[in-house]
Amino acid sequence: MSSDMKFDQGLTLPEILSGNDLKIMLLPEKVRYSLRIKPSDIAAVNKASGLKLPRKIGGSNLGKDQFVMCLGPDEWFVVANVDARDRLEKIFAKLEKSFTLSITDVSHRNICFGLMGADAVKAVNIGCPLDLSLEHFPVGKVTRTVFESAPIILTRTGEDNFGIECWRSFAPYIRGFFERYATDKAAA
Amino acid sequence: MGEYRKSGKGRVDHSEAVRFSFDGKSYEGLRGDTVASALMANGVHLLGRSFKYHRPRGAVGVGFEEPNALVTVRRGKGRMTPNLRATALEIYNGMEVTSQNRWPNLNFDIGAFNNTFSAFFPAGFYNKTFMWPKSFWDKVYEPFIRNMAGLGPAPTEPDPDVYASTYAHCDVLIVGAGPAGLAAAIAASKKDQRVVLVDENTELGGSLLGATGATIDGKPSEAWLAKTIKDLDKAQNVTVMTRTSAIGFYHDNFVALSERLTDHVPSLKPGQSREKLHRMRAGRVILAQGAIERPLVFNGNDRPGVMLASAAQTYINRYGVGVGKNIACFTAHDSAYQAVFDLADSNIRVAAIVDARKELAADILAQAQSRGIDVITNAVISKTGGKNRIKSIEVYSPDTGTKRQVNCDALLMSGGWTPSLHLWSHSKGSIKWDAATKVYLPDQANENCVCIGACNGDFGIKTALNAGSKAAGGRKSYKVEEADFGQGQIFDQLPNYIAPQKTKAFVDFQNDVTDKDIKLAVREGFKSIEHVKRYTTNGMATDQGKTSNLNALEIASKALGKDAPQVGLTTFRPPYTPTTFGAICGYRTDDLFEVTRKTPIDPWAESQGAVFEPVGIWRRAWYFPKPGEDMHAAVARECKATRDSLGIFDASTLGKIEVVGPDAAKFMNIMYTNPWSKLGVGACRYGLMLREDGYIYDDGVVGRLAEDRFHVTTTTGGAPRVYRHMEDYLQTEFPELEVWLTSTTEQWSVIALNGPNARKLIEPFVEGIDLSPESFPHMAVREGKICGVPTRLFRVSFSGELGFEVNVPAHFGKYVWETLFEAGQKYDITPYGTETMHVLRAEKGFIIVGQDTDGTVTPHDAGMSWIVSKKKKDFVGKRSLQRSDLVAEGRKHLIGLLTDDPNVVLEEGAQIVTDPNQPIPMDMLGHVTSSYWSEALGRSIAMALVRDGFNRMDEELYIPMPGGVNHKAKVVKPMFYDPKGERLNVL
Repeated sequence: MSSDMKFDQGLTLPEILSGNDLKIMLLPEKVRYSLRIKPSDIAAVNKASGLKLPRKIGGSNLGKDQFVMCLGPDEWFVVANVDARDRLEKIFAKLEKSFTLSITDVSHRNICFGLMGADAVKAVNIGCPLDLSLEHFPVGKVTRTVFESAPIILTRTGEDNFGIECWRSFAPYIRGFFERYATDKAAA
Repeated sequence: MGEYRKSGKGRVDHSEAVRFSFDGKSYEGLRGDTVASALMANGVHLLGRSFKYHRPRGAVGVGFEEPNALVTVRRGKGRMTPNLRATALEIYNGMEVTSQNRWPNLNFDIGAFNNTFSAFFPAGFYNKTFMWPKSFWDKVYEPFIRNMAGLGPAPTEPDPDVYASTYAHCDVLIVGAGPAGLAAAIAASKKDQRVVLVDENTELGGSLLGATGATIDGKPSEAWLAKTIKDLDKAQNVTVMTRTSAIGFYHDNFVALSERLTDHVPSLKPGQSREKLHRMRAGRVILAQGAIERPLVFNGNDRPGVMLASAAQTYINRYGVGVGKNIACFTAHDSAYQAVFDLADSNIRVAAIVDARKELAADILAQAQSRGIDVITNAVISKTGGKNRIKSIEVYSPDTGTKRQVNCDALLMSGGWTPSLHLWSHSKGSIKWDAATKVYLPDQANENCVCIGACNGDFGIKTALNAGSKAAGGRKSYKVEEADFGQGQIFDQLPNYIAPQKTKAFVDFQNDVTDKDIKLAVREGFKSIEHVKRYTTNGMATDQGKTSNLNALEIASKALGKDAPQVGLTTFRPPYTPTTFGAICGYRTDDLFEVTRKTPIDPWAESQGAVFEPVGIWRRAWYFPKPGEDMHAAVARECKATRDSLGIFDASTLGKIEVVGPDAAKFMNIMYTNPWSKLGVGACRYGLMLREDGYIYDDGVVGRLAEDRFHVTTTTGGAPRVYRHMEDYLQTEFPELEVWLTSTTEQWSVIALNGPNARKLIEPFVEGIDLSPESFPHMAVREGKICGVPTRLFRVSFSGELGFEVNVPAHFGKYVWETLFEAGQKYDITPYGTETMHVLRAEKGFIIVGQDTDGTVTPHDAGMSWIVSKKKKDFVGKRSLQRSDLVAEGRKHLIGLLTDDPNVVLEEGAQIVTDPNQPIPMDMLGHVTSSYWSEALGRSIAMALVRDGFNRMDEELYIPMPGGVNHKAKVVKPMFYDPKGERLNVL
């Protein structure tokens, strides 16, 4: 169902900007789950599920087809490719039987912008007030933050690779900043 | 080349002429000139008229501190900027500059009659005079005063320019690139840290640009500067930003930097940003803002050609412009001598130096004498001559009473130096009074911040360089040969033989405040400088008193007979210099000014010509007008179509929270007034939420999907606060509960289908759910598929009709909507907006939280006691419901109103009384909360909060309206349509 006409993330152009030093893309369909687990259960959950949930808030684990982030003391966020859905849901069903936890499908709540290139830090910083130097925001770090007035989850998967997860209705607003930035870059 | 230009001198490019116009006349300047320097090179000193008295004025300064020389630059349609300082404005070919605050022209200005009658315009004149009649203020006095006492005209067209903004971080931010800032940057660059050096000028150097002749580490200062700039350019970890003003210093070393990108170039590329706001978070801030020279306050000190000595020095050394051919100087500080010497050494005649001090250092005197300069000590200037340019000064020696006229075409003045504390004060750094030099100096820092160089009271190049190096962790000791910066004396008052009422000695040039105004303020009882400032407007102009604050303080403290610290210092507030709104907004203009959230179905509504309304930060379809329909007609049609057959409504904005965990029902029992334990899986219930104070906070339908999983809905606007409210209680009051909350508002697109044909429409598309009324009754929820995508299908109704709310994953929302809309054609499916939704629910008497409630309405007030559990031990707000004032008689109750005239639709918000003929102020019983035309009933309906409303059934009340109309209405139960709810059960 993923690639047919029914699916609509609300942004018409997948590619906002494509240059040597900066590419900004709307990522294709993903599945997303919010996991709420008692911190005391983490080791057991990891053992039972093989999910590799990071223990540190702001930590993440990037696998072949899934990205697991720790957003809070008892909160994890899993983003995965669509074909991982069945595998993950089987794991979750198993976990729900053995543990007291909460798993909520939020696949369609968010969209994700991918930013790549030497200029990616600058592009994120036009709206995000965090210090993105590698010392303060190393590769692998994730956090809830803001992009101007929009709440986002910011992820760094490489020195020049960022993801901005936001709720669907905030996407055009964030995209608008990238467009203004692109015009600026072209004119400068 | 202008006749006042010194060939080959200065940092301007003598090989590149630049043509611009001032008041329509063409002038030639050089690349690197400012408007002021280029005009002075052409002998033009008259640049504007003053604010209040319209007196002719020229440049007093040479940079951003300038109070006088404000001009307007026009760059084509919509690109008109008033109140720019000619002294800080770079020229470019084709630039159009005009003077301000004069009519019909700069040389002859009618408003100058204010000057003649200035004795009638003392401080507080407007406040005292235009008191009566009061009604004249808005229409007569204020427009007149604004017109006469204006600065440049405000732009009337939208600004076509675009602006940029960003966040940035550094370890060390250095503000000001004079010797102190440069030395700090060099020292900082040698460590592994990110360094940013900003300066508002076009080039780095600060005071080194204006004063030549010193050597630093054996090199002439110009060569040292050139090498330093090159070194900083090479340093990978240093970012140098010129044309960048640090406009505000906020908490935690957050500094706003406004960068001017294009104002100095003739034309912009399309899409190019004019200015950029850098929101900089710095680990450490080094302020090297320098000091501003103080004018002397003497009779006639505002004539064009009278300027600060350091300004004249900069005009000759940086721009190669002599400010006159025969200059004089009036000083109370040694530093002015060096300025005069620099001019003298450029073959400018010096008529005299008048020094207010009795004694003068011998070596300075010797240097003056060696140049043949006449120095008159223990003397003052008692008046100046000339109309639009100074022609002469009268030198008065108070001890002997002698007077002497000296001719000159420019007058340099120096009353000492004022360290710039602006940003330091923004950061809430404390200041201390230095009695010796009579200035305020930085004291205790409030942030990780330090002041160095002249802004810390440390004058001289060597002092500044060494302080800069030390502040950035360096240990360099610079070898400097320079003229001694010297010392000065501060005078609160200069003696004059002329009676005070016949003199005009300006303190604040831009706001035309004289020493007499300040003394008058003190005489009239103002004791704090903050009050003196507001009464006289001293320091309140666009220059924020950069040249006037300390002089005003001296005069006020002397008049009060108190020390300056007891009189205070006015507060510095951001921005440091006038800043465009464009820069403050950055990218956040037009559609980016605020977030507008749109649903997945919004593009469809837009394509159908929907009219939208904002709800919170969402935009929602309000109604769908057909050609020729107004709102009333469209809503009436939408209501009728829904009740007759089928309406479709986008309810995606409803807040949704997934409440999951073994204690989910327990948690729901706490958060809502009604019970949840016995709600079966697959059933729905309406829930009402209170705040701790017992007032209605939110409501919504909740479905139980599993023993441990609830799908909670909230109002559109309430979603974020309800989520926070729940988290707050969960984390702080009931952390022992095993339950978690996840916002799913945007996971689900919600399509509400209402009307007798709702079931028939969805039947063919639904898989895995038995839609028959027996197995899927009203107030139930099922999971299955619709149009091939997963759904949580609710059978609920906010209209009183058979209703379904189709929840589908958001990215499928538009597809499902379009599919159902297509199939609904055979039922004349009608899309409706929020207005029709409101009418339909009002006909049923369902409340809208925030419209029929206002934060002071209890469930009982709203007629909803039925939803408050009497058995539950606790829920949020329960205890408050027992408070005496919440159970008291005479509270306002939500009731229905039917107007006597069925065609009258009351105004929402209108007040309600028993007797419209009672005297004003009337006893107001309450107000109309909801009011609509009901197409189904063929008449108007309304809901209202009315004192003791439940006991007024069938009573007739009045709603007085402007114009003497009194609407009569009868109190009824707020249930206007299908009171038995039979329409829900249509098969």
